[in-house]
Amino acid sequence: MKIKTGLLVILGLLFIGCGKQAPVPGVTDTEILIGNIQDLSGPMKELGAVLPAGSRLYFRYINEKGGVHGRQIKMLVEDHQYNPQKAVVAAKKLIEKDQVFCLFQVIGTSTCEAIRPLLAESGTPLIAPATQSGTMSDLSRPAGDLIFHTDTGYDKQTNILVDYILKQDANAKIGLIYQDDDYGQNVLKGAAEAEDRTGVSIQKEAFQRGATDFTGQVGNLIKGGANHVIIAGVVKEPIIVMKTAEKMGYSPQFYGTSPTMDHRVALAAGPAGEGFIAANFAHLWNSDAPAAVQYRELCEKYEVPEAYMGMYHFYGFITAKVLVEGLERAGKNPTRKRLVKGLETLNKWDSGAFPPITYSSKDHAGTESVILVQVKDGVQTVITDWVD
Amino acid sequence: MTDLINGLLQESISGIALGCIYALIALGFTLIYKATEVVNFAQGELMMVGAYVNFFFVTTFVSSAGEPTLWIFIIALVGSIIFALAFGWILDLIINRPLKDAPIFSVIMATISLSIILRAIVAMIAGPMSLLPVSPFGNDVIHIGSVVISILDLFIIGSAVILVLMFYYFFHKTRWGIATQATSEDPIAAQLMGIPVNRVRGLVWVFSALVATIAGILLAPRLSLLDTSMGFLGLKAFPAAVLGGFGSIGGAIVGGIILGVIETISIGTLSFHFQWIKEINDIIVWIVLIAVLMVKPDGLFGVEKVKKV
Repeated sequence: MKIKTGLLVILGLLFIGCGKQAPVPGVTDTEILIGNIQDLSGPMKELGAVLPAGSRLYFRYINEKGGVHGRQIKMLVEDHQYNPQKAVVAAKKLIEKDQVFCLFQVIGTSTCEAIRPLLAESGTPLIAPATQSGTMSDLSRPAGDLIFHTDTGYDKQTNILVDYILKQDANAKIGLIYQDDDYGQNVLKGAAEAEDRTGVSIQKEAFQRGATDFTGQVGNLIKGGANHVIIAGVVKEPIIVMKTAEKMGYSPQFYGTSPTMDHRVALAAGPAGEGFIAANFAHLWNSDAPAAVQYRELCEKYEVPEAYMGMYHFYGFITAKVLVEGLERAGKNPTRKRLVKGLETLNKWDSGAFPPITYSSKDHAGTESVILVQVKDGVQTVITDWVD
Repeated sequence: MTDLINGLLQESISGIALGCIYALIALGFTLIYKATEVVNFAQGELMMVGAYVNFFFVTTFVSSAGEPTLWIFIIALVGSIIFALAFGWILDLIINRPLKDAPIFSVIMATISLSIILRAIVAMIAGPMSLLPVSPFGNDVIHIGSVVISILDLFIIGSAVILVLMFYYFFHKTRWGIATQATSEDPIAAQLMGIPVNRVRGLVWVFSALVATIAGILLAPRLSLLDTSMGFLGLKAFPAAVLGGFGSIGGAIVGGIILGVIETISIGTLSFHFQWIKEINDIIVWIVLIAVLMVKPDGLFGVEKVKKV
């Protein structure tokens, strides 16, 4: 009898053991823990506090509605100071010590590239890395199958801008000012593709990150005769380039990649920045796009300070929407594999801000188009629908 | 050919203005080094703090007066200068005096810590977003032949020259200046000669905070945006100080201008006409620096120090 009971107990335990899977990192019955690595004290710290705050706004909304499949979303943020080595340390901490379910919104190209081996080794997905480098969706790189990109890449953006320029002016002479780092390399890749495809030749002028003087580059573009100039900088560079051009009596049509899509460009450049066209990979936060309307409503409801509101905060908000959609699709018992599979079912999914997103096991780029935004009378005005 | 010369002239003017900013930071390095033989790695951050303080004064006055007038800029400048003097004095109290007998590494480490702390404090007070500085110079330019010069650049060059001349005069012609040099060479002997060594050292901290503040006020409108990373420019001014000869006031300005001009013309006209320069743009400054140091290890205007045994 005793043996029989014992056997039954053992059998029962075995059944329970079979039914209950090994615990999934970061997932409990009530909570999903995700990790985020930002630059909180380095050169990009302007965004470090604002991006996660935007995401938290959306998580708060979802959590108050009952969470994802009954689980509350909790996010931990680490600091990498825009330093790849520190990014690796932070990712290691989040994955191994904090046991997060997935990483989200890690900012910077070089930093995301640096944590690829860790992602691959632990099988941790990275959703919506906050960089527009096209390398993010390169499936041939380590952990390519685990990274889901939401932003249209710089290479693609450059292609779109060149096409747009040639459509306006078939005889355009195109110039390009680019930052001499991984960002610029991705832009150059796009420029080379565009040159091969269209047969135009682009005059390329480099600058070092942190450059404060562009007299040389602008002078060279004048000599080269460029009448359409693409600036692949961040905020300071387009301002200084356009002001220098104005000073030197040079007035081509200026364009910029998505990091230049910042309202301060128009503010600081003043008359020199009038007409500047920037590419953006999402609708503007103050537009009528559904996600933007929802965003402003939630900002009001939760009394978000005005200083936070704007494109970066909104970006945090809309990338959180993509993550939440992925978590929904990962099902009631989410695993990292199910998250990947879930995201790969997105088919022309409309986030209300990004272009329609489509992922598959062969494509993790998600989007391929941008809108163009022009400064008119000092105000950013959307001048196109999605162009690709 | 005229293309080449015009380009070089145009870029040289911009390069000189940029170089004068380097020179003002280098001058700050030099002042402190001259009196204490310590390198103040927070010099760039002192400049950043000065720019922020001036921004604060200008925006406060503009918001109460409504319009940015020339008077507002002048009052803000005076306010910033008074702040710089007080700030330099405080730094003397918290860094210089307590560490006066400490090994040189401790002092250098203290200045590095100071730079990090200043960046953090400014970011805490002013917020992480960069600010839009208002300047009295606008975007006005003057034309000389085919060369365009902005009024702001002329102001930068003028201010740098005036400050360098003033300090040159101070160090070589005034009692306090000579006392400073004596303090640098042999503090104990200087003290025995009746020189108030502590006060002399305090004075150079005040001076270098002043120079840094003026550099910050002039640089901010040139950058168009004001953020705490401005202090990193101090690291670019360091080679300028070495090139000119560390501790030499004339050397600081010559070193600054040489580096500023090389930077702009190499990435500009020279890259346009000579493809190979384009390839070595980011190292050209360092090549020049090493070449100069090979010939003159103490820099262009440095004085070789000989110690008699």
